[in-house]
Amino acid sequence: MAVLTLGRVYGCVFGVAVVGVKGHLITVEAHVGRGLPALVVTGLPGAGVQDARERVRPAVESSGLQWPLRRVVVNLSPAGVRKDGPGFDLPVALGVLAASAQIPATKLSRYAFSSELSLKGELVPTAGILTVAMAASEAGLDGVVVPQANTAEAGLVEGLAVIAAPDLASVVGFLRGTWTPEPGVKPPFQPGAEKRRDVDFAEVRGQGVARRALEIAATGGHNVLMVGPPGAGKTMVARRLPTILPAMTRQEALEVTRLHSVAGILSGGGLVETRPFRSPHHSISSAGMLGGGSGFLRPGEVSLAHNGVLFLDGVTEFRRDALEGLRQPLEDGRVVVVRSSGAVEFPARFALIAASNPCPCGYKGDQRRSCRCLPNRVLAYRQRLSGPMLDRVDIQLSVPRLTRAELLGSESGELSVRIRDRVELARERQRQRLAGTPWACNAQMPGAFARKLAPLTDRAESLLSQAVENLGLSGRGFDRAIKVARTIADLAGHERVSAEHVGEALGYRTPARAEELAQVG
Amino acid sequence: MYTASSRETGRRLRRPSDLAREDRVTRRSRVATAIDLSWPQEFARSHEDRQALLVILGLPSLTPRRLLELAAERKTASSCLRAIKTGMAGSPLDRRHASSVDPVSVAARLEEIGGRLVAVHDSEYPLGLLDLVDPPAGLFVRGHALPELEPRVGMVGARNCSPSGEEIAGKLADALAKAGACVVSGGARGIDAAAHKAALRAGGPSVAVLGSGIDVPYPRENAGMLKDVAAIGCLVSEYPPGTKAEPFRFPARNRIIAGLSRAVVVVEGAGGSGSMITADHALDLGRDVFAVPGAVSNPLATIPLALIRDGAALIRGPADLLGDLGLHIGALFEDGGTGLTALGDPALEAVMSVLTVPAPPDALAASAGLPLPEVVSALVQLELMGLVREVGGRFERRATRP
Repeated sequence: MAVLTLGRVYGCVFGVAVVGVKGHLITVEAHVGRGLPALVVTGLPGAGVQDARERVRPAVESSGLQWPLRRVVVNLSPAGVRKDGPGFDLPVALGVLAASAQIPATKLSRYAFSSELSLKGELVPTAGILTVAMAASEAGLDGVVVPQANTAEAGLVEGLAVIAAPDLASVVGFLRGTWTPEPGVKPPFQPGAEKRRDVDFAEVRGQGVARRALEIAATGGHNVLMVGPPGAGKTMVARRLPTILPAMTRQEALEVTRLHSVAGILSGGGLVETRPFRSPHHSISSAGMLGGGSGFLRPGEVSLAHNGVLFLDGVTEFRRDALEGLRQPLEDGRVVVVRSSGAVEFPARFALIAASNPCPCGYKGDQRRSCRCLPNRVLAYRQRLSGPMLDRVDIQLSVPRLTRAELLGSESGELSVRIRDRVELARERQRQRLAGTPWACNAQMPGAFARKLAPLTDRAESLLSQAVENLGLSGRGFDRAIKVARTIADLAGHERVSAEHVGEALGYRTPARAEELAQVG
Repeated sequence: MYTASSRETGRRLRRPSDLAREDRVTRRSRVATAIDLSWPQEFARSHEDRQALLVILGLPSLTPRRLLELAAERKTASSCLRAIKTGMAGSPLDRRHASSVDPVSVAARLEEIGGRLVAVHDSEYPLGLLDLVDPPAGLFVRGHALPELEPRVGMVGARNCSPSGEEIAGKLADALAKAGACVVSGGARGIDAAAHKAALRAGGPSVAVLGSGIDVPYPRENAGMLKDVAAIGCLVSEYPPGTKAEPFRFPARNRIIAGLSRAVVVVEGAGGSGSMITADHALDLGRDVFAVPGAVSNPLATIPLALIRDGAALIRGPADLLGDLGLHIGALFEDGGTGLTALGDPALEAVMSVLTVPAPPDALAASAGLPLPEVVSALVQLELMGLVREVGGRFERRATRP
């Protein structure tokens, strides 16, 4: 092998560090100098970037290029940001190639590069490409060079050239001007034109109350708790909530895509157009729920459910810290993960649907099977639900396990799109009323504000005070009932909240009912 | 109603217990073989005998029936205790126990908790217990004397009862208390607790028969209630103070509930539960048995329905019970009518008229021909009026029958 006679010793390439969902443009400098052959990476590289050291050399050599047998120093700057993830394989390789004068520097400064490399030199699908593309666009670069599998994702950023390359040799060819990528076709974004859903409310028989409750929840942005025996259909109903939520705007879809991209769960095709439905297992850790992990901070389930639905099945079984952590996202629509390396913020505005059995054995209140639980065990089980999280759940209902006769006798549901039309209409009403406030829907209003914005008729007023007296409605329960009644009135198209709306709202507070009884009895 | 009188006329109704016995021939054969024995008059008359009785009642493996047989032979309690100590009667376990327990300390503990020993043939000893094949030789009592608390009506049922069972038990106990009767029940959760609480609320005394010592509240959550029962009624146990609650003691306790009562009401009970044992004892003793029915599909209605099928009197509400017992109260039933016409709102009336069996609101909406939101709202209003109740997502009528 001929010893390289080097024209240059310095190369400079742009990469992007993904921190949370934000991208930071990073200059990857490479210097090929005298010394024993080695590759040193400086500038706060994370464990993922340290890994790149071992991958880059085989990849370069497999691509018919030469690795300089000298001391190579790669510096990632600015040094203040922790760089992590596999996307630095390609910029590091290119930096070394540029420093060893194997590629021209002309195009290097106009593109950002991000991809993991295989030992054979292929570009492997990489997480966070959308964020990379956004950062490149913000920095005023011409385009990004990404793996082919991530083309659609990178193409979401307007006015940015996307160079989708199959392997390192092609990237080098592109930079040398000997290889041109196939022109990609960008799919146009049409709001509302969602892909066909595989679930629909029309398939649900019975459970009219749950369907109605979810319609109200979708309208007012209320969180829901469903309590019922196994097999009642809680999951089935919850899974269909995304189908009646208003279609996402492009901005919302981009937010979701970006989060899913960073988490590496984006499956191929560009923009996520359907609202996400996340249903984590109850053994999930607090880091899995809220985001985090050692080294590279991944968005948690609350963020993956951003603009969609977070379904917690068997909510009493979840770990206490994972549930307690839900408070911040439920309140602010975002979650801040603090690590020694700094705080990272992820968006996390989701509709919470929690489901639970009524008691440890699951059959308390069931018609056909008697419950075998001791009363104090039932109480303890319910108390695991209580607390600050439950305060943010406006709608609480019992879902019975239907008998065969009841199922056969009940009607199937309405088509989801029809329900969604009503939801969107009522949402518009709220938007107008709440214009100029920081809130977008009824559930977000603070209690005092809700009372002001929900003018009650006299009968509604007396019904509420009766409920306070006879049903032991608490102060918080009172506010929740008003908010839900406000939403019901919005759905009906009424500006004033009547007794009927309040009455219905009071109907969605069942598990609280059991506690009231326990206190009275 | 099936009572002692129906037995005298030779019409022997088949009892639920007989059904159970058909494939288990050995069970409870004592009923057929028991010889009539009675406690000797001098059994616990002297101070010495009473001290001996304090020890005997705490023996771990000597059953009341075996004690009765021993007493028929030995005449006095101290003589019985001697027989046990010398190993001529009872088990080695009993012998060890008998020689290690000091009657003075038992008596001291009894005094400390404000209880007393009521031995057989004492004036305070309830005569009804002597109808038993194995009457207790003595009772530990805390509170008022049992003969003051008459007439007594037993009320038993499921620990894991439904809200509607709890409600009807409460109504029956309330009516009994107002009619001057005393409720007898266990100290357990569910129907027992509901009955005691309602009786106490109505200002009437009640008797709690415990399966533990009278100073051991079990379950602990009922400690407050049992204290109140002791204050205006009484706590009864055949076990000395300090005895822990153990599963085998509860069936034995049930025979005392039956023996203390002139009638027994069974509210709810799943198959194979203790309510059946109490009802069985009541029948053996010739007491009236009443049962509150439920839907045939309801597992908690298994025992009441089986009892009714075999001739127990069916109870729809307090009026039925008081009427059958020949008790009367004045002001209870004035506002009892279901009064559908008085609701004043067509939606409420429509919902009430289609609410027969427990049903989810959407099913009610379909049968009433009303939109679901309206029905949910109507149900909440009916709930506020105390006419309906929600159980696990279904609504049911509350007991409004007098």
